[in-house]
Amino acid sequence: MEDISLQSRIDLLTEQQVMIQDSAIAFIAQDEELRKVRENRFVQPGFDNQIWQEMAELGWFGFLVPEAYGGMGLTFADLHTVLIQLGKGLVPVPFTATAVMAAGAIVKGDNEALKMDRLPSLVSGDWKPALAWQETTGGIDARTVEVKLKDGRIWGKKILVPDAGGADDFIVSVLSDNGTELYMCGKDASGLTIEHEQRVDGGFYGQLNFDGVRVGDRVASAGVATGVIESVLDEGRLAASAELLGVMTRALEISVDYMTQRVQFDKPIGSFQSLQHKAVDLFVLSEISRSVVLQVVELFDAGASQIECALAASRVKARCSDAAMQVTKETIQLHGAIGYTDEANIGLFLKRAMYLSSWLGNASAHRASYAKLKLQAETADE
Amino acid sequence: MSNRLNVDYNAMDDEVFRQMVLEWYVENYPDELRFPPERMHWDESGAWYMQLAEKGWLAPGWPSKHGGMGLDVNKLLIFMDVGENYGVGRTPDQGITMVGPLLIQHGSQEQIDYYLPKILSGENIWCQGYSEPGAGSDLASLQTSAVRDGDDYIVNGHKIWTTLAMDANMIFMLVRTSKEGKKQQGITFLLAPLDLPGIIVRPIVNLGMHDEFAEVFFDNVRIPVAASVGGENNGWNIAKALLGHERVFIGSPKLAILAMSRLKSLANAANLFDDALFVEQFTALQLDVEDLTDAYKRFIEVLKRGGEFGPEVSMLKIWNTETLQRISEFTMDAAAEYAGIWGGIETDDGLVRASAEFIGSRPGTIYGGTNQVQRNILAKAVLRLPG
Repeated sequence: MEDISLQSRIDLLTEQQVMIQDSAIAFIAQDEELRKVRENRFVQPGFDNQIWQEMAELGWFGFLVPEAYGGMGLTFADLHTVLIQLGKGLVPVPFTATAVMAAGAIVKGDNEALKMDRLPSLVSGDWKPALAWQETTGGIDARTVEVKLKDGRIWGKKILVPDAGGADDFIVSVLSDNGTELYMCGKDASGLTIEHEQRVDGGFYGQLNFDGVRVGDRVASAGVATGVIESVLDEGRLAASAELLGVMTRALEISVDYMTQRVQFDKPIGSFQSLQHKAVDLFVLSEISRSVVLQVVELFDAGASQIECALAASRVKARCSDAAMQVTKETIQLHGAIGYTDEANIGLFLKRAMYLSSWLGNASAHRASYAKLKLQAETADE
Repeated sequence: MSNRLNVDYNAMDDEVFRQMVLEWYVENYPDELRFPPERMHWDESGAWYMQLAEKGWLAPGWPSKHGGMGLDVNKLLIFMDVGENYGVGRTPDQGITMVGPLLIQHGSQEQIDYYLPKILSGENIWCQGYSEPGAGSDLASLQTSAVRDGDDYIVNGHKIWTTLAMDANMIFMLVRTSKEGKKQQGITFLLAPLDLPGIIVRPIVNLGMHDEFAEVFFDNVRIPVAASVGGENNGWNIAKALLGHERVFIGSPKLAILAMSRLKSLANAANLFDDALFVEQFTALQLDVEDLTDAYKRFIEVLKRGGEFGPEVSMLKIWNTETLQRISEFTMDAAAEYAGIWGGIETDDGLVRASAEFIGSRPGTIYGGTNQVQRNILAKAVLRLPG
């Protein structure tokens, strides 16, 4: 299917980026019909382990892991092209949750021995940790932690852990006498129960109930843990936004294709001006989104301050969440009745957008967060 | 004229009539089927259909001499209003809303005598075979062919978006009997049992993962010419006149009012009314719905005066379906991360499923003529723009 983005017209990619992007394009081309998405829907753990292994072989899990720990030490400039393709292919794996957020928590944490010990197996695809940070809906505030760590045991509840059923271990934010810390906890630990909630896209959210669960290794100690969580959340937001960009881009490509094929009133429906204008509006939305993603990628790679990253993460997540919902719901309309069936693939894009745009804070939550942070930043400047 | 119960409902006081209908619903309509979240299948709604049949209330709009309640427009609106308010779900009612009026107006005496009692007894459940894969917005381009062979037609083709076909045993359909002249002129209205050799019904799962639609395949199906209605090649005119009945209800604000009340429950559960911005946006939608209600009343007055709707009724469909979509989008927003799950959020008024609200409001702008088609109608037939 033809790429309709403005990339080839106005963006300049490095050789390395082109190489990575090409391998990601080839990867999703294996399942253009989205059979894997359908096979794994609503079935635990909600994603495909074979795909996970294939991705490991391409080295993608090591992109953001330093070389010292078995990774490649690359940046978002390289990774974002993969994330966009994963979005386009609706690849059913918790890539952002594990390879960006959980990996990031360990890398940014202060347990060197743990990094040496565990990161190589994460990079090789043999070990999948998941980050359990969230306690209330709304998706923004990581500072209020009420799950307790007392005498080496965890008590409380974490919600909205993507695809928890496939995780080997959880990285849990807890409140100890020292303050907020991050600890490992095995999925089979006694006292831990997991409730799975079906997502619209076919994956699951896990709710973790800790009833005096013995903790494992510390991932980040009280001095650094809050900063680590905020940083990986912002990176997760950028990664989810890049996936959303892929979702909306492919949804529009499929629809433009359909509008060219589908004939009513003796003409392709794409010849009707009302539909042309609708398609163009969606195109503008997706390219505005791409502009933000590209700039925020650069900003993150340049090592911006935490507040700059938080502002940028809110901006990109607000834009991509909004745009992806707008684009995918309108592409249903562009398809007409066939778009409202489960057998048409276009609906799968809407459902992935429904998940990714609400996960880690929806557009309104991030606009509110942006306004608050902006005000704080401006007040601090004065 | 009186119905078979010899009650002249139209002579009753409006309020007395309203109370009578409501009381009977409260006594007889199953609690667990109130406000069904999706269209009910026959295994859920069949018993209720039969109960209505027994009461003589199955066909409120049919004349009483045909076994209906014989309600005038005013009483019919009250009857519908009470049902909507109480959350009475729809049965597979195409026989009542479409086939009955069709035959009473265009059918032969023989057809009326044969088909109508079977609808009232629940023996025949009907579905509608209009759309085809290649004929959606452009319905007149339909290709399912009916070729004369003695006293029969041989029918070949493929119908789609046939609501609840799997629950039906009869289909009323539009078929092509001539390829001469304008495409609208070669269409015939045909009735057929679904168990004829050569007919296959296949359910279609929608985005809400519910099998409300089906497609129906016809492979050399033999249907008697006597089962056509209103004469060969006259089907388009009949179908157009029948659509008028459907278009009244597409403007009813009831779905939007219910969606607002669920949004309110959700917002209460999440303490969103403390947020000034939320209140402003909520109120904007509230007013969209209240103003829709005013517009609906204005159109209803036309019916009460004995008039009929013209192309202007398209504005009701646009405002209604798009308001419902805006409410559902705001509900998703209010649900935060739970917008991404199938399940819902517990509120004081029960479970609110934001994703189901959102997905369920999508087809409104597609079926019954897409909103793009509705805008074309308004542009051409009301604003009289050129082209």
